[in-house]
Amino acid sequence: MTFLQKLFKSRNIIDIVAPMNGRSVDITEVPDPTFSEKMIGDGVAIDPSDGTVVAPVTGEVVQVFPTGHAVGLRTPSGLELLVHIGLETVGLKGEGFTLHVEKGAQVEVGAPLLTFDLTLVRERAKAISPIVITNMERVLTLEKLPFGDVQVGRSPLMKVEISRN
Amino acid sequence: MIERIVAVRLPNGLHARPAAQFVQAANRFKSEVTLVKGERMANAKSIMGVIGLGVAPGETVTLRVDGSDEDEAMEVLVRLLTRVDEETR
Repeated sequence: MTFLQKLFKSRNIIDIVAPMNGRSVDITEVPDPTFSEKMIGDGVAIDPSDGTVVAPVTGEVVQVFPTGHAVGLRTPSGLELLVHIGLETVGLKGEGFTLHVEKGAQVEVGAPLLTFDLTLVRERAKAISPIVITNMERVLTLEKLPFGDVQVGRSPLMKVEISRN
Repeated sequence: MIERIVAVRLPNGLHARPAAQFVQAANRFKSEVTLVKGERMANAKSIMGVIGLGVAPGETVTLRVDGSDEDEAMEVLVRLLTRVDEETR
């Protein structure tokens, strides 16, 4: 293997796919400054069209929020991703959310993470759901794919290159 | 290593904005900072870990700080956990 091939092989590039059906927008469009100002990290949000949520990457479930409205994942290469269902959903205290994974589980991209009651979330909170990289210090490049209609488990959302440590 | 038990007074608990501010503050110190709630514990320098604890208003957590700047870190971080003003919403 040549030096350049080795260099290329050592790059950590992660494709993040849509964890839900709906319409994708930039994180800056989210009507909550905690997310839109990237205080938690950079990413994309989806305005969901149904209540199915799947793993946007292959990796480990590193956080399952006690209230069931968010799941944290870490890829084998070390990218951390938070899938946060809706805004102000912490106030629902778990109502309307059904988790399908436990902390520590290994999941493949497309595996079911949770389901939620979209009607209830729309009525009592906001449904727009940020998908955020929480360890931006590892990110070398972040490409957001064209915003618009996305299909759960299929449509690419972001392409990220992270450093080796 | 120093440890303090803190009743979190933040109106929305340690979520979203206050969690981000808390983690940013923790990262300014050299010391290792750990937040413990019941049987769960998190690295206080990781936003994922901290918001994943799901600390609600009025809940009690243990803050553990270990390192050369532990006293100063403890003072700053306890103050952030016990804020009640509008900025924390």
